[in-house]
Amino acid sequence: MWIQPKELLLPSAFWIAEMHSRYFVLQKRRGHGESRGFGSMLVGTYDSVMNTKPAPYRILHQTPSSEVSYEIAIGITQDEIVKDWEWLQANLFKVLDEMENEDEVTNFTICKIQSLYTQNNQDDSGESADFKVMKSKFRQIFKMPEEERLVNSYSATYVKNKIPRQGQLYISLNHVCFYSYMLGQEIKRIIRFAELEDISRNANTIYLKTTNNMTYNFTMLFNASEAHQLIEQLNKMAIQQLIHDPDSPVVDHDTSNFARLGAKTSKKPVLLRDLTARQKSEEFRIYFRLPQSEIIDGKIKANIWTPYSKRFNSGFIYLSPNFFCFRSDVKDLVSVVIPMKTIKSVEKKDDGQQRFENQIVIITSENVPFMFAHIVDRDVLISKITDLLARIHVPVSRERAKYDISWSKQTALMNTFKTQFSSEIIQKQEEKMVRWEAHFRDFGRGIGMFRTTDVINLIVEGIPDKLRQEIWLIFSGAIHDKEMNPGLYEDLVEKAACIKNCFAHDEIDRDLPRSLPEHPAFQSTDGIGALRRVLQAYALRNPQVGYCQAMNIVSSVFLLFCDEENAFWMLASLCENLLPDYYKDKVVGAQIDQGVLNELVQTHLADLHGHLEQLDVIKMISISWFLTIFMSVISYESSLHILDCFFYEGAKIIFMISLQIIEWNREKLLQCQDDGEAMLVLQNYLEGIYNPEYQVPPTTDKRKQERKVQTQTVQTLIHEAYTKFGEEITQQRIEELRNKHRRLTMRQFDIDNEKTIVKAYVQNSYFTRSELHMLLTIIREEKHALKSLQQQQQKAPCPLSEVPQLVPQSPGRANHDASASGSRHEAYSVNYEVFHTLFTELTPWRKCVSVDIGEKLFRLTDKRGTGSLDFGQLINALGLVCSNKNMEKLKLLFVLHLPPLLSKAEIERSRRPRPRTKDDAEEAFEAEDFFDNDASESMEALPSPSDHNFDADDFALISATQHLHNLAGISGNTFMDLSRTPNLSLNSNTSSLAQRSSTFYVDLPALQGTAPSTDAGRDEDELQRELRQQGRYESIDTFSDISDLGAARMTPPGTGAGADAAAGAASAAAADHMLLNVETISNFSQISDLVAATRLERADSNATDLRSLGSLGYLLDQPDEGASSSQHSIPHMRKENFQLLWRSIIEIMGLVQDEEMQRAYENLLELGNSNIKKEPSLESFTQLNMGGDEQPDSNGNPTTPAAEPIGTTRLFVALEEELRQASGKARTTTTSSGDSSSSSTNISESWHISISQFIATVLTVNSIVRGFQTPIQISEQIEQLQKKRRKCLSTNY
Amino acid sequence: MSGRKKSLLKVIILGDSSVGKTSLMNQYVNKRFSNQYKATIGADFCTKEVVVNDRVVTMQIWDTAGQERFQSLGVAFYRGADCCVLVYDVTAPNSFKNLDSWRDEFLIQASPRDPEHFPFVVLGNKVDLDNRQVSTRRAQQWCQSKNDIPYYETSAKEGINVEMAFQVIAKNALELEAEAEVINDFPDQITLGSQNNRPGNPDNCQC
Repeated sequence: MWIQPKELLLPSAFWIAEMHSRYFVLQKRRGHGESRGFGSMLVGTYDSVMNTKPAPYRILHQTPSSEVSYEIAIGITQDEIVKDWEWLQANLFKVLDEMENEDEVTNFTICKIQSLYTQNNQDDSGESADFKVMKSKFRQIFKMPEEERLVNSYSATYVKNKIPRQGQLYISLNHVCFYSYMLGQEIKRIIRFAELEDISRNANTIYLKTTNNMTYNFTMLFNASEAHQLIEQLNKMAIQQLIHDPDSPVVDHDTSNFARLGAKTSKKPVLLRDLTARQKSEEFRIYFRLPQSEIIDGKIKANIWTPYSKRFNSGFIYLSPNFFCFRSDVKDLVSVVIPMKTIKSVEKKDDGQQRFENQIVIITSENVPFMFAHIVDRDVLISKITDLLARIHVPVSRERAKYDISWSKQTALMNTFKTQFSSEIIQKQEEKMVRWEAHFRDFGRGIGMFRTTDVINLIVEGIPDKLRQEIWLIFSGAIHDKEMNPGLYEDLVEKAACIKNCFAHDEIDRDLPRSLPEHPAFQSTDGIGALRRVLQAYALRNPQVGYCQAMNIVSSVFLLFCDEENAFWMLASLCENLLPDYYKDKVVGAQIDQGVLNELVQTHLADLHGHLEQLDVIKMISISWFLTIFMSVISYESSLHILDCFFYEGAKIIFMISLQIIEWNREKLLQCQDDGEAMLVLQNYLEGIYNPEYQVPPTTDKRKQERKVQTQTVQTLIHEAYTKFGEEITQQRIEELRNKHRRLTMRQFDIDNEKTIVKAYVQNSYFTRSELHMLLTIIREEKHALKSLQQQQQKAPCPLSEVPQLVPQSPGRANHDASASGSRHEAYSVNYEVFHTLFTELTPWRKCVSVDIGEKLFRLTDKRGTGSLDFGQLINALGLVCSNKNMEKLKLLFVLHLPPLLSKAEIERSRRPRPRTKDDAEEAFEAEDFFDNDASESMEALPSPSDHNFDADDFALISATQHLHNLAGISGNTFMDLSRTPNLSLNSNTSSLAQRSSTFYVDLPALQGTAPSTDAGRDEDELQRELRQQGRYESIDTFSDISDLGAARMTPPGTGAGADAAAGAASAAAADHMLLNVETISNFSQISDLVAATRLERADSNATDLRSLGSLGYLLDQPDEGASSSQHSIPHMRKENFQLLWRSIIEIMGLVQDEEMQRAYENLLELGNSNIKKEPSLESFTQLNMGGDEQPDSNGNPTTPAAEPIGTTRLFVALEEELRQASGKARTTTTSSGDSSSSSTNISESWHISISQFIATVLTVNSIVRGFQTPIQISEQIEQLQKKRRKCLSTNY
Repeated sequence: MSGRKKSLLKVIILGDSSVGKTSLMNQYVNKRFSNQYKATIGADFCTKEVVVNDRVVTMQIWDTAGQERFQSLGVAFYRGADCCVLVYDVTAPNSFKNLDSWRDEFLIQASPRDPEHFPFVVLGNKVDLDNRQVSTRRAQQWCQSKNDIPYYETSAKEGINVEMAFQVIAKNALELEAEAEVINDFPDQITLGSQNNRPGNPDNCQC
C-alpha cells in the first residue's frame, strides 16, 4: 500500500532489511513473525506500550549519499509489500538507474509515489492507512472474521492481579478486545457486547462485568469517555438486537445511512463517526419526536427570533432530510419543528440594522416567518437547505379509491356520543379554549408552533376536548408518520379484513368489549368496529408486536378524541417511539422500565425502597401503570390529563407520577406487612383519584361510585409530580437507566429460563444441578459465538413500515405451549455445529482424530433427524461420554463405528487420506445424472454432518432400488426420500414423513381394513398381525418392509416371543415403534436399528448383554423413544470398521498400545475369523446375508444387504442385479482398482465380531478399563473452554 | 413463614384470556356481576374474610392477566400461593386444553413444596351460556388424571356454584397449610415425585 512519503532519520532501528536495491530497501519490523529473540521481544513490548502500531512491512527510499530516507509504502502482509516492490522493480528501477543526480532521483520517486498514493486512495473507504493496519492486526490477533468490523482502538491499561498491562483496547461491532504484549507475555481478552452485565466508568477507568461474573477494568489516559460511550452504545445495540431478533443477535451496521454527518472530523475512523452520528440522530429524533427514518444531517449554531418575547434566543439549528428544527441552549426555553415540505422560501436578510448579523428568514406555506440570526455558517446552511429541499420526497397524498365500502372511517367518538356535562364543566372548558386560542395567536399553531414552557403549563392543566386530537398528534409525532404514509391505514384495514383464522384477531375480538366498557361509545357497534379496525391494522403493520392486551384500552381512549386513522397513527407512535418494546413478547419494554422505576425509587425514596423491595411490590403493581399509562387503574377521565402530559413529555411522566403515587402513600406503605396490603393501599388510593373538571354524571358507573372515596385530584397529582420530580428525572437519565436495565432484564430472562430447564432435567443420571447450569451457559455462549460468525453477512432486518404483513401465526391457541415453554427449551437446543464444538471441547473423546466421533454421536442421538438436539438428548450424549461407565462407553464406541454411521467411504478415506480425486467426482457426477430430477439438488443442499456419507455408492444403490420399485409397481417418488438426509429441517421432515407414511401403507388396505391414518391408535396385537400378514404376502415395498418382514419371520405367530416380550409396553410404544420404522426409510443412517429389530433376542446374546444394551439404547434415546429402543440390539461389526474402532480406542486412551492391548487386538481378529466358520444355520439370516449379498466391489453400501432376510425373493434378485449394473457402470468409468480389491474385500466382508465378543475381550485389558473408567468433570472442562474463549486461545473460534 | 399460623390465604386465579377470572373473583367477593370489566393488565387483587372450620381467615385473591405474553410476570404473583384456581370457559375448547400448560407453568414457577399434592381447583365457567363445547365428563376425566383435582362448573354471571367453589378452595388451602405444619417439624427437603419435569409436552392431555 503506497503512502504519502514520509521523511525518516533512523531507517534501521527496530527493522530488519529483507530486500535491497540501489535506491530502495524493503524492511520488516522486528518482533513480528517467527523471530523470537530478545530484540524482537523488546520491540514488541515497545510497540505495545508506546502504542506505535506500525505495519510489519515497509519500503524505504534511500539514496547512498543522503542521511534522510523516505518511507513510501507499508504492507500488512509480505505478499502485499512484495507486490509493491515488484512494481518498483518493473517501473522505477530502470528509470532511476538512468538518472544521474540523486536529488533528481529522490524528487522523481516522491512525485511518482505521491501520484500513486492519491490515485489509489480516491475510491477508498476513507479509512486511513493507520486504521487499516489496526484493523488487520485486530483480525489477526483475535482471529476475527472479515465481517466483524472494527470501530476504533484505544491505548489502555488492563489491570489484573494488581499487575498493570499496557496494551490496546479494540472495539468492534460485537466485541471488546484487549491485547497486550509485554516482554514475551501475550495477553488477549475477548468480551462480547451481548454478554456484558455491567458497564461503568470512574474517571479514566472503565469497568466491565460479564454475565459469567468476570470483571475487567481498563484504564485509559485519553478518550476514556469516548470509549465508554462507545461501549454503552454498542452494548445497547447488541441487547436491542437480542430483543428484536433473538435468532440473530449480531449487530451489523449499515453505513450508508450515516455517511453524511461529520465529514469534517475525518480524523476518526468511518465506523466510529457513523456510530456517533447514529447516537446523535437518536437523541435528536426522540427530542423532536420525529419518525424513525429521520437521520440528523448536521447542526449549526444560531439564534432564533421569538416574536412573543421580542428577542433572540441562542441555540442550534438541526437539519434532517425532512425537518428543520431548532432547540434553544436553555432547556425547554423554545424549540421549533418545521417540516421541510412546508418551507416556502429561505431568504438572506441583509438590510437594515441587522446587516452584519447573518440573518435568514424562513417562510412556511402558511406564511409564518421564522427569523434566525448569527448563523455561524450561513451560506453552508442555505445551500444545505436548498439541497435537502431539492431531494425532498413528498408522498403523493392520493385520495385513494375505496375498494371496500363496508366501512368508513369513524370520526372522534366523543362527537357522536356526547357526554352530558354540567354547565360548570362546560364553562371551564370554554375558558380553557380561550386561553389556548390566545396561546396560538402568540406562539403559532400547528406543527411549526413555538414550543415553550408556556405550552407545558397549558397542557398540565388539561387540554380542552376539542383540541386534544390536534395537540396529541403534534406532540406525539404521530402526525409525521401519518403524513408520510397516506393511504396506508386504509390498505392495512382492508388487508386485515381478508385474513381469516388469525390468532391475533381472536384475541382482539375477545377484548373489544373489555376496553373501555364504561363509556357508551364502546357499548355500541360504531365504537367497537373502529377499535377492531385500528387494532387489526396495527397487528398487521407490526407483526412483532401483533396484539397485546392494554393496547385495546389505550386505543379506545384515543378513539374517543381522534378520528380512526389518527388513533391508529398514535398507537403506532406509542408502540414504536414513545414506549419502545412495551407490547412485545413478555412485555419486555415495560419490564425494563419497571427496573428503571425501582432504581428511581431507590434514589428518590430511599427509605421506602428497602421496605418495598422486601414486599417485592414494585414489579407487581406497576406493570399496568406503564402499559396503559394509568388508564386501567384510575378512571379514564382523570387519566386523560396524564395522557396529555405524556404526549408532551414522553415516558418520563409515567415515572414521575409513579414516584409521586408511592411517595404520597409513604406512611401507609411503610406499615404494610405483605404485598397484598400494599397492593390494596395503592388500589384504594388510585381508585379515589378524580377529576373535578371532567366529572362524568354518576349514572354510568355504579360500581365505582359506591366504593370510591375520593383521595386526590389528578391535577394535584400531576402538579406535585412536576414539582417534586420534574427537575431530576430527565429523558437522558431515563435512557441511561434503560440501557442498564435492558441488560439486567434480558439477563434475568436468561437466568429464569435456565432455572426452569435445570428444574426439568435435574434428575438426569449424569450431571448435578450446577453442572447443568454451566452447560446451559456454555451452550448459550457458544450459540452466540457461532451466530456471530454465521450471520454477520446477513443484512439487518428491514424497517417495519415496509413490511405490512402478518407473520403467519400458527392457528389457534395450540401454540400456547409450544411457544411458552417450548421456546424456552428451544433456546437451548443445539445444532450440529454447536454440538460438535462442545463435543470436541468438553469430552475426552476429542483425542480421537481418525474418525469424527462427534459427528457420529450427533447422528446417533438425533433420532428424529431434526438437525438439532434438545437439551435432554445433549445431556445424555455428553453425559455418557464423560461418565465413568466404562462398559456403556465401550459399547457406545462400538455402535459409533458401525455402518452406516461409519460408512465405507469414510473407512477408505481414513486409510489413505487424500482429497477427492477426479475419478470420484466423475463417478458422483454420473450417478447424479442417473436420475435427473431434484433429488440431486437436494443432495447439493445437504447439511454437513451426513453429506459425505452419501456419495456415489449410495446413489447407485438408490437408483437401483428405484428401479426395483418400478418393477414392483410402486411409484418411484416414495423412494426419492431415501436421498434425503437425517438432517432435514424440521418442517420438511415432518411433511415428508407424513407423505411417506401414507405411501408406505399404500398397499396395506388391501390386506387389512386399517386405514393408514389410524396407525397411531393401533394396539400391539394389531401391529403384530399386520406384520405377520405382510410377511406372508411377500410384497416388498421398502426397506422397512423388509425389516418388518424379517421381524415377522423371526417371531413365529404362536410364541411371539420377540416383539411381544421386548416391547411389553403399551400401545403407544408400539405405535412409536411403527413410526420409527417409517422414519427409518428416510433416515438411512438408522438402518442399523432396523437390522437390530430383526435380530431380536438372538440366541448368542446372553441376558446380561441384552439388559445393558437396552440401557445403552435408553441412555442415548429420547425419553419417549426409550421403550421402543429396548428392542434394538446391535449388529456385528466387520473388519475395516473394527480396525478403525481399535485405532479410535488407542487415540482416546492417548497412549501407545501396550502388549496386553496388542494381544487383545489379535484375539479379536482371531475371533472374527472363527466367526466366519460357525456362521451358518444357527446364526440368523441377517448375518448370513451380511457376507453373501455384499457386492463384489468397494462401491457397495454395506447396509443394504444387512437388511435382507434369508428368503431372498425374486425381487431381491432383481435388486442385486440392478446394484451390480449400477456399480458396474461406475466401475467402467473408473480405474480397475475395484476389481483387484474385490477379492480381498470379499474375504474381509465375512469377517465379523459381535459386540459381546468385543466387550468381553476389551474388558480384560486393564489399561482400557482404566482409561474408560475415569470420569471427566464437565465443570472443569467448561471452565477451561470459557477461559479459552475469553483469552482467544482456541483456533476453533 | 413456616411456623406462623396463617390467617391469610393466598389464592391465584389462572386461565386463558376472557374465561371470566375477574368476574368470578368479583362475584365471589362483591356478589355482583358486571359485563363492564376491562381486560386485566398485570394483575388485580381482592380480599375477603371467610370462615373455614370455625376459623376466620383472610383470603387474598389474585386475578391475573390471561394473555400469554404476561405469563413471564407470573413469578412474582405465584410466590407463596396456597391454592391455585384454574379457570376455563366451557364454550371455548382451547381454554380447556390450555389448562395443562397453566398448571405446569404454575408448578414450575411457584415451585410448591409438594407439587404432587398442591391444591388446585378447576372451574368450568360460563355454564349459563347455550353453546357449551366442553363436556363435564371430559373435564372430570382430566381432573381425575391430575390427582383428583376438585372440579366445579360455575357461572359468574348467575352466581352458580361460585360461593361453594371458593369455600372448597379455602378449605383445601387450609388443609395444605395444616399438612405443611406437620411436615415442618421434620428437617427440610421432602420432595415427592417430580410432577414438574414434563415441560413442553402438550400431548399428555388425555382428552
